[in-house]
Amino acid sequence: MDNKKGTDKLLSIYWFVMLTLIAGGVFAMVYVFYGPPYDVREIESEILAERIADCISKQGVINSDFFVDGKFNAAISESFTERCNFNFDVEKGYGDTGEIQYFYEVEFYTLKDTVNPAFSFYDGNNNWKADCFIKKENNKEYAKLAKCKEKRLYALSKEGDQYLIKILSVIGKSEKNVKQ
Amino acid sequence: MTSKRGQIGESITWVVATIVLIVLLIIFIYASVVLSEFKSLKINTKKISTGSLDWINSKTQMAYSISSSNKNKIQVWISQEVGNE
Repeated sequence: MDNKKGTDKLLSIYWFVMLTLIAGGVFAMVYVFYGPPYDVREIESEILAERIADCISKQGVINSDFFVDGKFNAAISESFTERCNFNFDVEKGYGDTGEIQYFYEVEFYTLKDTVNPAFSFYDGNNNWKADCFIKKENNKEYAKLAKCKEKRLYALSKEGDQYLIKILSVIGKSEKNVKQ
Repeated sequence: MTSKRGQIGESITWVVATIVLIVLLIIFIYASVVLSEFKSLKINTKKISTGSLDWINSKTQMAYSISSSNKNKIQVWISQEVGNE
């Protein structure tokens, strides 16, 4: 009788251990699959491109700050980031040298020449741009490359001149978004 | 003697069952690790930002409402947009 009680007790402990093991396993699986990091850089680059487009063109007309005496205002390239209220210093500490993790480039084309830009400017870390031209495969190493988004739009100057605008936005931040 | 043998047999069954369970758990956790490498967020940003309308495309449409001359040329140029990822 005593022996049976002892076996039952032992079996109960065994079942609790098994239950804990299975629950722990399920928790580990869910945490590994749904846990961080999530790669949101593609969406982030799209949002950045949209914000840039918003700063350039309002209701189809290019901001008058882009022109001086009917020509492109070269000074805008220095002040555009600030005018747009972008702050690229927020990701300090990421990357090998704490480098800036953002890059954008804006190119204006006329309808006469859609290959060579009439005016262009950029800001951020130029080193990320090269990543955009690498053909990416579904591979872990490629996932660490920067995410790029190209957006094209059409807008007019206040004088009615037609311009084609190409925006390239790039987000680095692989350390934060990709499992190392 | 027969009772002892029975006890040993039962114990081995439980030990084997435990090992099988642990091995299965390890396989499933490993599978989760492998699958998690390829997880990605598929979010329709158009839906998030402005309903069904593309935010940047809406700017182009606004510009067309001001001047739509050379519309074909402009549309061809815009369609050459590279979906770099």
